Amino acid sequence: MKNWFKSGSPWIWLSAATVSISLIMVVGLIGLIAVRGLSMYWPGQIHQMDLRTSDGKTDTVIGEVFDSEQVSKERLKDAGVIIETDKMLITRYLVKTGNRDVDAPDFRWLIADNVVGETFPKEIVVFERMEWGNLYGFIESVKEDGNLVAESTAVWPAFNERLARATKLQEDITSIEKHEIGSVNYEMERLRLKQRKLELKNKFDARAKQEIENEKTILDARYKSFQSKLASLYQQIKRDTIQVKISTGAVVDVQVGSIVRAFKPNAMGTFDKVIFYVKSIWLFVSEDPREANTEGGIFPAIFGTVMMVLIMSVIVTPFGIMAAVYLREYAKQGVVTRTIRIAVNNLAGVPSIVYGVFGLGFFVYFLGGNIDQLFFAESLPAPTFGTPGIIWASLTLAILTVPVVIVATEEGLSRVPISIRQGSLALGATKWETLWKTVLPMASPAMMTGLILAVARAAGEVAPLMLVGVVKLAPSLPLDGDFPFLHLDRKFMHLGFHIFDVGFQSPNVEAARPLVYSTAFLLVCVIIVLNLTAIAIRNRLREKYKGLDH
Amino acid sequence: MSESSKKSVNNLPSSEDVCIEVRDLRLFYAENEALHGINLDIPKHKVSAFIGPSGCGKSTLLRCFNRMNDLVDNVRIEGSIEIDGHNIYDPKVNVADLRRRVGMVFQKPNPFPKTIYENVAYGLRIQGVNGRRKLDEAVEKALKGAALWDEVKDRLQSSAMGLSGGQQQRLVIARAIAIEPEVLLLDEPASALDPISTLKIEELIYELKDTYTILIVTHNMQQAARVSDYTAFLYMGDLIEFDATNTIFTNPSKKKTEDYITGRYG
Amino acid sequence: MDIEGIGHHISRQYNEELEAIRSKVMAMGGLVEQQLANAILALEESNGALAESVIDTDYKVNSFEVEIDEECVQILARRQPAASDLRLIMTVIKTITDLERIGDEAERISKMSIKLKMSENVKSTMPAIGHMGNHVRLMVHDALDAFARMDAEAALKVWHEDRKVDKEYEGIMRQLMTYMMEDPRSIPDVVDLLWSVRALERIGDRATNICEYVMYLVKGKDVRHISVEQMEKQVLGK
Repeated sequence: MKNWFKSGSPWIWLSAATVSISLIMVVGLIGLIAVRGLSMYWPGQIHQMDLRTSDGKTDTVIGEVFDSEQVSKERLKDAGVIIETDKMLITRYLVKTGNRDVDAPDFRWLIADNVVGETFPKEIVVFERMEWGNLYGFIESVKEDGNLVAESTAVWPAFNERLARATKLQEDITSIEKHEIGSVNYEMERLRLKQRKLELKNKFDARAKQEIENEKTILDARYKSFQSKLASLYQQIKRDTIQVKISTGAVVDVQVGSIVRAFKPNAMGTFDKVIFYVKSIWLFVSEDPREANTEGGIFPAIFGTVMMVLIMSVIVTPFGIMAAVYLREYAKQGVVTRTIRIAVNNLAGVPSIVYGVFGLGFFVYFLGGNIDQLFFAESLPAPTFGTPGIIWASLTLAILTVPVVIVATEEGLSRVPISIRQGSLALGATKWETLWKTVLPMASPAMMTGLILAVARAAGEVAPLMLVGVVKLAPSLPLDGDFPFLHLDRKFMHLGFHIFDVGFQSPNVEAARPLVYSTAFLLVCVIIVLNLTAIAIRNRLREKYKGLDH
Repeated sequence: MSESSKKSVNNLPSSEDVCIEVRDLRLFYAENEALHGINLDIPKHKVSAFIGPSGCGKSTLLRCFNRMNDLVDNVRIEGSIEIDGHNIYDPKVNVADLRRRVGMVFQKPNPFPKTIYENVAYGLRIQGVNGRRKLDEAVEKALKGAALWDEVKDRLQSSAMGLSGGQQQRLVIARAIAIEPEVLLLDEPASALDPISTLKIEELIYELKDTYTILIVTHNMQQAARVSDYTAFLYMGDLIEFDATNTIFTNPSKKKTEDYITGRYG
Repeated sequence: MDIEGIGHHISRQYNEELEAIRSKVMAMGGLVEQQLANAILALEESNGALAESVIDTDYKVNSFEVEIDEECVQILARRQPAASDLRLIMTVIKTITDLERIGDEAERISKMSIKLKMSENVKSTMPAIGHMGNHVRLMVHDALDAFARMDAEAALKVWHEDRKVDKEYEGIMRQLMTYMMEDPRSIPDVVDLLWSVRALERIGDRATNICEYVMYLVKGKDVRHISVEQMEKQVLGK
């Protein structure tokens, strides 16, 4: 035993164990959110259950079984549910019944013992709607302008045809509303600001007025034409309706235009399901959110996160590197530099919300406010930069992560052998030339390491962002087709905040839970992708500048 | 530059042109005097070796010739070093220019992590030479001068880190001679190399001395004996003796030199 | 240059090797001296047995030379001696060559002494030859002594002795010449004797060579083929 201790193997085992625990935790974490997040897109079976109610009648419930659990009778009793059984533990199902607009709520707990019959009719259709969540039911008939078009077996193809038409119309509407009308509005706003600017400068004379009026007329005309186009499109989309029989036996009218997509999961084969699954995930990452973020995609959040991290990298890299180069190469080493180093290291430990407060106070109100005074006076009192926006969020994260970059860069600089520097100096290079041509390239892998750490930290940070630029729902992306294309003043959406918002601020927590998981998984994926890119760049640099350590 | 009327401080034969004149050179690390008033005339286009026990100041002295000691904190230098009649410690001297005229090769091969071509072209690029043809010519000439051309001509664009130690050291010499300095300082250039590579470097030094004034610091007395025309023996920061290598190695005039080169107790 | 100088190397092994060579040279010198003394005695007394023993012993001198040569080559190859060590090895290599030649001359004298018939003429020359022989033997002895003590001044003194030997040699030559003229029948005997005297003179020259090596060893200056004044200046430092 004593020898065993002496041999050191306990410590090897111990360290191996810690490594495995870490690995298991990481894999487990990612696995959990991946499974929870990704399974939601798999089209599950739709159950039609016959339910015995307390007054002896039977009730029909249509829905997806989300979850099942064992609960004690006592707990149910406390919750007000009384069941005649001697079993201590009772199985209950969580069923998503949808139809929120007809018979809320859309999630119901069913006691397994009460289920007397269960079938999986192939004809059940799931409708994903723009509003009110899913609708489960059977299509009875399709109507156009109130006239019957198809019934019974012909209903599904006729419906699909109209759905395709409606989707197309919907796309046109979105495109006009978002892009055409959006850019007309943008132009109008610019005109207004132009006028305001001229007024402020007291140069708003008759000629300028005439010019602006002319442009305004043109824009108005364009706006009007879009409006009429829209009106006709809305007219067309309202044309088609379907009648759907839902679980209660009632028949409801549904506008085809309000349906995002419809499918019959019980009739799908595995292959169809896979295709459907992939499509669903694609929609999730590429679509805008709907219904207070609880439905639809999260594309703006992904875009905002990546954008913010990129802008932050662009700011933090040169800033951190310059600071590190000065500290390591030019500053006289002594008490002052040591103090600065300690301060920098401590900055990394300041809680991030403090940075948020600082960012709000300094960047948004002070810097942004002054910028508005100086450059955007025409739009005051509406702030341009004097309000949270992506640039301030990026700047705040940049000062949050700059210590990491400084420390890593300094480390890299100190690892460049003195012999290399002397070799360069001995060839008649000045200190600056030596730094620029030899030392910095050789330290670049370390700088990349710093950036990787910075990105990892920044992408996961949420708290300060809530103060300096992140919003629940941003009307437009920070990058679009309107000049100047990159709008640093805009607010943006962020995956981390999206998780918080969906998970804790949403009216429908049960419905949102899978969304929280899949968003979390996506956030992890985004961070991994950002990191892997940086690591790949670093490895290439390392390969290029290897051979230092000999 | 030296007038024959001027008497050399170390009995250098009047047939030799003096390239570097060191006068009363004192070097202090903070308050420690590391060189105690060195007086030395170094002949042009000859190999002069500096030998002496570790810590005798020979490397320090060598680094005075291209002002490498300026990089060390708390170093103070008194006295003068004149290269071709110009004091290099004159405040008006541009140190980068000086280092272009006085090339240096270090103990450990220190090629930059760049291609072979870029290593050799480095000094020229620093000087602003960027013409492709000009660089090509200069690189070829320097590599030929360093007896490395035949070994690397087919892989000029591959990394210099892939060369062997001896090749790397010759590459570093090629890099130094690419900018055509007047003086070449070699700080134990072969101490990290195997004997064959060492011999190649020594052969190279022999060939280079027609064009450059070469100063070499070496721990290896046999090497000093093999490559140098003149040898200086330094001990505890003093120049004990400077004379023709033949004399130093057969009949040194100072007992300390004798003891050192024959390997005796001080 | 002091004798102890050899013994101050950082490598004790090296000290021992150099010391071994030096003492072997001294041993070889002693043997050669002995051979020379015996040869001269054999000549003077026409002692055939002694002469034979000198001839028989010459192989020892030869083997000494080979042995020391070998050791010197090894030191050159392995130690790369410099300065005084280098001069010592060079001096040893040259000295043993001269010593071996001296040994050969002694052998030659012995061979002559066996052949030599003791005619009247020969007998009358013997004292002069004995004197010269003794002188030469002393020179060899003193040269080796100067080597052992690394004494350049002593070596210079021995070097000067050679002139006296040359004078004696010339005297004996004249005497022998007279004999040959007076009595042509004695020519074969006298010629034999003449060879022996010639050999003694050569030994003297070799002793001066050794002295020159010693002066080089001690002073580090080559003193061969220069004027006496220059040599004295080099050695006495004037």
